[in-house]
Amino acid sequence: MKKLIILFILSFSLFSCEKIIFKPDLGSKDPLDNFDYLWNEVDKKYSYFELKSIDWDVMRNKYRAKLSKNSNEEELFSVMANMLNELKDDHTNLVSPFNISRYDIRLKSADNSYFRTIQKHYINDIWVPESGIAHGFLNGNKVGYIMYPSFLINFSDDEMDLILNRYKNTNGIIIDLRNNGGGSLLNVPRLLGRFIETKTLVAYSIMRNGEKRNQFGSKQPFYITPHKGLRYNKPIVVLTDRGSYSATTFFALATKALPNITLIGDTTGGGGGIPNGGQLPNGWTYRFSVSQTLDLNGNNYAENGVPPDIEASFDWTDLTKDEILEKALAELQ
Amino acid sequence: MKNKKGKLFINLLAAVIIATTPIVAYCSESDPIDSLNVSNYYRRLSIGLNIPTYRDFATSPLFYNGYGILLQTSWFKNSIRRERDLQIGLTLNNMSARIPKSNYIQPKTNAVFAQLNLRYNRLFQLKSISNEKVNYKLGGLAQTTQNFRINQNLQNNAIGLENITNLMVSAQMTRDVSRNRQRTFNFGLFKIRRSPVKRDLRFQLNYGIANFNYRPGYAYTYVPEINGSETSFIKFLRSSYKWSYFDGQRLNTDLEFIIYLPNGNANSWSYTWDIAHVPGNYQAFQMASHQIRYRLYFHAKKR
Repeated sequence: MKKLIILFILSFSLFSCEKIIFKPDLGSKDPLDNFDYLWNEVDKKYSYFELKSIDWDVMRNKYRAKLSKNSNEEELFSVMANMLNELKDDHTNLVSPFNISRYDIRLKSADNSYFRTIQKHYINDIWVPESGIAHGFLNGNKVGYIMYPSFLINFSDDEMDLILNRYKNTNGIIIDLRNNGGGSLLNVPRLLGRFIETKTLVAYSIMRNGEKRNQFGSKQPFYITPHKGLRYNKPIVVLTDRGSYSATTFFALATKALPNITLIGDTTGGGGGIPNGGQLPNGWTYRFSVSQTLDLNGNNYAENGVPPDIEASFDWTDLTKDEILEKALAELQ
Repeated sequence: MKNKKGKLFINLLAAVIIATTPIVAYCSESDPIDSLNVSNYYRRLSIGLNIPTYRDFATSPLFYNGYGILLQTSWFKNSIRRERDLQIGLTLNNMSARIPKSNYIQPKTNAVFAQLNLRYNRLFQLKSISNEKVNYKLGGLAQTTQNFRINQNLQNNAIGLENITNLMVSAQMTRDVSRNRQRTFNFGLFKIRRSPVKRDLRFQLNYGIANFNYRPGYAYTYVPEINGSETSFIKFLRSSYKWSYFDGQRLNTDLEFIIYLPNGNANSWSYTWDIAHVPGNYQAFQMASHQIRYRLYFHAKKR
């Protein structure tokens, strides 16, 4: 019986090893603990300090001084959000139950799209399917128009086959990516793969891989592979503006390597870095960019926006005309 | 580096000694007591409650606690002299972060945590210290655990994967707690008769001596995600994850009460505790679980 008791005591006494093996619980409401945690995570992993000439140590001193152990959660959120916005990066957010911080580059630039103008004055026989990818004919059915509002929309092969089949007899297609804030990068090659005939290298990416602020891993190639089914090999025009962000910027950058695609409109909003995600000791979450996207020559401009091949802007004094669309139609004449 | 090599050598040496010594010392074909070498084969099915905890420093300093179900099946061969067990198990758990109480609005973070576990265990009797009542065995265990976690709040790091593989030394004590004669409990108005029954109480401890883990790289976000159509699952794992060798700690204990039935089958209740600390190449992962398990033993054959 004694042995049995010893056995039970031994088996349960091992639970205390959990505390020995695990470090202490690091959950904390302390504003300074949370500030330091976030600052350190950004310091260790953010990818654009050098490109944007940001002195992150200065930011620490500037914003930490605004907090104390007694700061409330609103104050903590405000200070950390302002610090993150110094990165001028829309892939950077602080998420709390009462607010989400964002840099919102779109609101800092001119708006260049008004879909109602296209609906009322340009498009014929518009189809708006369940997916939200609206499409129709322009210019007496000579040009196809596809409005892809978000790269979060995972279109099916059948849907894209149907769209491209509908415009197979046109002279070209306009893909409107204005105000497309991005989404899944995997939809970039899925869409571009419909417009190329050979596997093409379009960009590179590099990922932060060390504690030094300019420490990155090797260049990873980004290839576009032709879709195995229906493809469209006539000219394509892609419309962009500063609301074209993240995956849309990536799409725009990739078109620079594809001679049959022309970019028209405004420079994209940027967002060339892939964001990560994490959690603070008080349970709030955050994200910020941990990679960079480079063009084929190794140039790093995607974060600040991909410039168009032909510049154009929307004139808000005349809502019967879309100047950007007009330039695209002229290009496809 | 030198220390690491030294540690590696000692671990490997210990693994070899522990795995081979009992075979040399106690497994003689000419043993006069045949019954000791009679093996029972069982197919075991288990269901249970799992209470896990984990913390992934790559994405959060917070512990995640939860509960879930446990399903296991195993092929088990057992004799007084030796034991062999191949086990596959799956747990599915609902987790939530242990977040400090907010004075404002309480954040909530939930995650799904699944574990696939494969283990192979061999044990050999320590004849010199065993007797009729208590049997001691020593041996080795190879175990691999694949974690799969989804936490939408972590946005682009919503998916967490890690593999923890361990070569462990195992020590087992089995105490015969059989009821050898009929017992009658008299409650005045009624009596309960309990027939003789064979029962075992078994305690096993496993400690990792060679620990391996497969964890995400520095930035945690996956490079192949941006390699577009060239992504394949194997490429994804190879370029985003790194093996870390002879790194970390793992410990399991298992306390099981087995009741044998006259037809050779058996059933048991058991309590298992598992803990692992995985430093990884960059940031650590820690996990522990408490499991309460009911197990059925289906007797297959004797040999």
